[in-house]
Amino acid sequence: MTIDLENISVILATDCGSTTTKAILIEKIDGQYRQTYRGEAPTTVEKPFANVTIGVTNAVTEISELAGRKLTNEDGTINQPAQGDDGCDLYISTSSAGGGLQMMVAGVIAEMTAASAKRAALGAGAIVMDVISTNDKRRPHEQIQRIRELRPDMILISGGTDGGTTEKVVQLAELIAPAKPQPRFGSEYEMPIIFAGNKMAASEVESTLQEDWIDLAIVENLRPKLEQENLGPARDKIHDVFLEHVMAHAPGYDMLMDWSDAPIMPTPGAVGDILQTIAKKENINVVGVDIGGATTDVFSVFEGTFNRTVSANLGMSYSISNVCAEATMPNVLRWVHFDMDERQLRNRVKNKMIRPTTIPQSLESLIFEQAVAREALRLAYKQHKEFATTLKGVQQQRTVGDTFSQQTGGNTIVNNMTLNLLVASGGVLSHAPSMNQTAMMLVDAFEPEGCTDLAKDSIFMMPHLGVLSAVHPEAAAQVFERDCLVYLGTCIAAKGLGKLGKPCFSWTLSGDVNASGTCNFGDLECIDMAPDQTATILCEPARGFDLGAGNGKKVSHEVRGGTVGLIIDGRGRPLGLPEDRQQCQMSMKTWVENMALYEEIDVAVATA
Amino acid sequence: MAHAYTPGLKVTNRMKHSVVRMLPIKGDVMVKVGDSVVADQIVAATYMPGDVYPLNMANLLAVPPKDVLSLMICKEGQKVEKGEAVAETAGIFGKFKKKYNSPYAGTIETVSDVTGQVILRGPDIPVEVKAYVTGTVTDVNPEIGCTVESDVAFIQGIFGIGGETCGTIKFAVKASDEILTASSITQDMKGCVVIGGARITDDSIEEARKVGAVALVGGGMDDQDLKEFLGYDLGVAITGSEKKGITVIVTEGFGDIAMANRTFDLLKRFEGHEASVNGATQIRAGVMRPEIIIPIDSGASEVEIEYEGGYLEIGKSLRIIRDPYFGIIGTVKALPSEPHVLGSGSKARVLEVELKTGESVIVPRANVELIEE
Amino acid sequence: MKKSHTFYIGVFVSLAYSGVASALSFETLPEPPMDLVVIDTPDDAGNSVELDWALSGTDIFNPLIENASDTDPSTIVATYSIERKVSDAIGSELDESDLNWQKVSEAGAGESHWTDRTVERGWTYDYRICSVDNQGDSSTWCNGEPVTPVMQIFNMSKAWLAIFMLIFGGFIAYFINQARAGKPLWVRKIAGLEAIDEAVGRATEMGRPVLFVAGIQDINEIQTLAGLTVLSRVAKTAAEYGAQIEVPTCRSLVMAAARETVEAAYLSAGAPDAYQPDKIHYLTDEQFAFVAGVTGYMVREEPAACIYMGGFYAESLILAETGNHIGAIQVAGTAMPSQLPFFVASCDYTLIGEEFFAASAYLSGDPLQIGSLKGQDYGKFFSVLILVIGIFFASIISLSDSEDGLAVDSLNYINNNMLGSEGLGSFGGGDTDIEGDDS
Repeated sequence: MTIDLENISVILATDCGSTTTKAILIEKIDGQYRQTYRGEAPTTVEKPFANVTIGVTNAVTEISELAGRKLTNEDGTINQPAQGDDGCDLYISTSSAGGGLQMMVAGVIAEMTAASAKRAALGAGAIVMDVISTNDKRRPHEQIQRIRELRPDMILISGGTDGGTTEKVVQLAELIAPAKPQPRFGSEYEMPIIFAGNKMAASEVESTLQEDWIDLAIVENLRPKLEQENLGPARDKIHDVFLEHVMAHAPGYDMLMDWSDAPIMPTPGAVGDILQTIAKKENINVVGVDIGGATTDVFSVFEGTFNRTVSANLGMSYSISNVCAEATMPNVLRWVHFDMDERQLRNRVKNKMIRPTTIPQSLESLIFEQAVAREALRLAYKQHKEFATTLKGVQQQRTVGDTFSQQTGGNTIVNNMTLNLLVASGGVLSHAPSMNQTAMMLVDAFEPEGCTDLAKDSIFMMPHLGVLSAVHPEAAAQVFERDCLVYLGTCIAAKGLGKLGKPCFSWTLSGDVNASGTCNFGDLECIDMAPDQTATILCEPARGFDLGAGNGKKVSHEVRGGTVGLIIDGRGRPLGLPEDRQQCQMSMKTWVENMALYEEIDVAVATA
Repeated sequence: MAHAYTPGLKVTNRMKHSVVRMLPIKGDVMVKVGDSVVADQIVAATYMPGDVYPLNMANLLAVPPKDVLSLMICKEGQKVEKGEAVAETAGIFGKFKKKYNSPYAGTIETVSDVTGQVILRGPDIPVEVKAYVTGTVTDVNPEIGCTVESDVAFIQGIFGIGGETCGTIKFAVKASDEILTASSITQDMKGCVVIGGARITDDSIEEARKVGAVALVGGGMDDQDLKEFLGYDLGVAITGSEKKGITVIVTEGFGDIAMANRTFDLLKRFEGHEASVNGATQIRAGVMRPEIIIPIDSGASEVEIEYEGGYLEIGKSLRIIRDPYFGIIGTVKALPSEPHVLGSGSKARVLEVELKTGESVIVPRANVELIEE
Repeated sequence: MKKSHTFYIGVFVSLAYSGVASALSFETLPEPPMDLVVIDTPDDAGNSVELDWALSGTDIFNPLIENASDTDPSTIVATYSIERKVSDAIGSELDESDLNWQKVSEAGAGESHWTDRTVERGWTYDYRICSVDNQGDSSTWCNGEPVTPVMQIFNMSKAWLAIFMLIFGGFIAYFINQARAGKPLWVRKIAGLEAIDEAVGRATEMGRPVLFVAGIQDINEIQTLAGLTVLSRVAKTAAEYGAQIEVPTCRSLVMAAARETVEAAYLSAGAPDAYQPDKIHYLTDEQFAFVAGVTGYMVREEPAACIYMGGFYAESLILAETGNHIGAIQVAGTAMPSQLPFFVASCDYTLIGEEFFAASAYLSGDPLQIGSLKGQDYGKFFSVLILVIGIFFASIISLSDSEDGLAVDSLNYINNNMLGSEGLGSFGGGDTDIEGDDS
């Protein structure tokens, strides 16, 4: 379908989540695309409705009422194209309903082609259930047993460079053929298998997987050379297969696909797309996080390389107990500036787990929940760093100077110093009563270094914009910049450790806001800067501290304001809180006061 | 949006219940369609090959692999007990010999003088599947399992530990809000499903286990006690495979919380009856809740009274399910439609609850669940 | 300062003495040696005796004589004659003549020490010494105290060596026990060894062989053995991953050993059927013919991973550059200092000297090896500690210019007792000078 981008002025987008369907309306106002209205309705994939479009229609109807624009027809379908004040020009949708896209991937070497295959699947928005490789220490019959137990929606096989091993790749296919995994959608379902390995092995893989329950697709190798990763074709194919097979088996999706002007994407895949688009357009490094009830997704784009990880057991409701168990209570409590009864807290955590929909009523429980969120985010980011690495199996170039500093390949590409933008989304972050709380949760968990912009996704519209960026990148970028992101401010943080109270760096701010000061080690302060203000900050770090230009070197950054302002963080990196509980509480208390984290609320409590 | 969230726990005095009993691998099914079975009757059985424990004897004794064969005290095919010496080093001048004691019981399957590896296979594991619930066999899947169906009173708990078991229902408390302590546990509770009222304490679990009770049911328990009972901090809520010798079920939540009267009364009615209990819990999509199944006489012509959650209305009874008022019972006093700023600073829709003390408090609507008084 | 001072006093005394001697004697006899000290050699098996004497006043080598040319030429000492007799003996082998004075040795002029190695343990001896001039005239005798050589069970001069041995051995035994008890012992990550998995993985993905060269030395060289240990690991990884391994050797014995190693590795990886002995073959003993063979193979087959572990000479750069050219991941390890820079520059990873030898412990994870590696490390640490302490005291001494005090005593003790051969001795008792502490 060709879409005339010039004439599009009204865009409708929906995201069918596992519990709610969210719709947004984007309109062209004075030549600029802006998000104007939004609507929400429960998702209707499960019985008794068993038709996803009912929820979509409900959500869209809510917008219609708000906007006074008739977006649905009598029969519930989307009113297209726009005629006068009614209808829309473009309708797009994403979906994560029904547990999303569950995949199994296979590759020859776990750290090489199998890792690339996992990256491709995660990047496409899938949940990777397991990775099979020749060196995963499982014997063939154990691998077959595992494939049998899993019920993937799709399998991705990679392995071998082009012209590389054929034998090993065919062996992988030989494991899958007898295992005959049972799909979730019943025995009628043809298991889609995508082969993205050594092109020389394609024909042999094809003959191995010649079974009537398999639907094999062959795409370009995702690792044509060990030095090069080519995930694009495999990811696109995953999207196609997702639509053709998986979606087609979900109730109502055939109709939804008819309505939609662009292919329906898995929600996380769409979020990844918009972040990549923005990173490319602005030439910046971005990290995005979406913390949910059961899982936490982390996305990153560093030097143009995109990575996504899903931390399956880190979340704020179903998984809250696991966060506390994995991080341990003392680690959670270090973020709390007063004493809490551990016995009581344990009960609260478990009660939240068994009754996931409750919300914190008292300030105390909010502070505790935000402390848990910090640990969940920290752990998820740690997992992300371990996964987002340079390619393994690549030849290294050395000089004699490397004699004593040889490092293995496969180091993380996540570098907090070069990170430009940190985007937050997910309940605990975006629904925090104060933006300062959101900002501090991000800073404490991600420990950005140097100069980093902090933002949050206002109403979680990144999925919508992700699909839109595939159709209409200009509109997506405009809405992303103006309506999607709420800038919280900028964080200036020095890398290095020092003695408490000794100078860390001095700074001078000039531009819309003029100020200067010295930040001592252990200090944390906030300078007011409105969202539309920008300034240049000149920092002179003390010896042993780095703000982006190197140890003790002067550096200047452009900073932008936000609802929070400019955060000057002299607590050092890696961020270490005092071991002693009393001291830790004292430090936390000072920081909480300096950042005015919970002050306004105290007033509110008093008046309530 | 006036929906009050209830975790959808089923508590019913009568329903048709069927349970599928399956072997993990093929074996013998010992019943046929139409047979009446009782809860602890074995319906299917088989043997699974024992676990394999490879012991790298060359490394363990620090000798070359080729010497391993000569240093073995136990030979291939020989049965060994746990702690029995299986090999011994030659030592120096016959002194300083070092023995290696088997960490497992089993049979020595192979001894390799190439790798120095000794393969120890544990004893065959008998696998028996019991009927679990007293009832009638309605379906048999040859070599795999069967389906047992029966009329039951059925209670779902909110969280449990431990697997399937069965016993006689016996009360250790008088009221639903009485805390269960070790002193309430008596010797005659051996083999019983013991019902407590409010919180189950750590020492009461210990005591119940000592006297040989099969299960303990209560309103709530402290997570600290749970941690001590399990020996680790429970992370992901997937339970059922613990081997603790007793199944524990809480019906309401964690902390000091009384068992819902409805549940308590239903159990009270069936005091002395046989009950089948399973603590397995999974909180995720595809939830699994712990259950108490009480088979009832199929002849009895009692009608099923199902309790429906209903809507929040003024005057309805409810329970607050989040701190700071966790576990407190009250009635709906007012339902303001405007969102209200909470103590935490966030805005949410709330309701006013009149407590039994006459005091009234403001609570977010997400933090209450309706109950039947 | 001290030395020159003593010297002057010494000269004065000797001059005075010689003056008296020449005044009393009119014959032209050489002056006798003095102060004969006879002792049983300490810390020996009791079969030698040490003799020390002061040089004669007419010995021109005597440093106490100020002007040697003034000495009467007829009295100049030519040799010293030493005589011995047995005064008490046990056992039956006593010769009658031994009971009389017998000449046992002659020492040249200027010599003031002689060791008699012909004594019997347990007998008692008397010694005397006289000086003899060129005319054959002897001086009067100088007698020493009787001496009985006995055996010492412990050589106390080596006491510190024993202490060090115990400490080092203790470390090793302790860590081996720790390792056996299942305590995880931390060993620094060696990038080159970690990279073996990566290199073999690359070969697997690319469907190319892994080339392993165990140096050009023979099997008796320790580097070759260390190389074979690494080969065992490489072969095991290759067997697990299903990669093909190629091992050309320069010595026939190395080939045999390599075959054994690889076969065992394949067995332990559970893939004995994948082992191909033909892939481990002997090329030639000639250094450059071997290099030509290997590089030729590299250019033709383009292995994806090249691993060089062993002793290498001039061929190191030829091999590594060829490997680099064909785009292989290369891991090298050698203890040849002169070849290391070449490997570092042209390979992806290089194991340097000690790392290479530690590799076998690192790779095997065997408690015995890891424990002894750890124990040795602590032993080395201990030695360095003593070195640092010595340097510290020596620095203090040279800065403060003091000649006695705690620093001097400590340094002397370290120098003479701990590192020297004075045994346990007593602290501060050493009287030797304080030079050359950098041993």
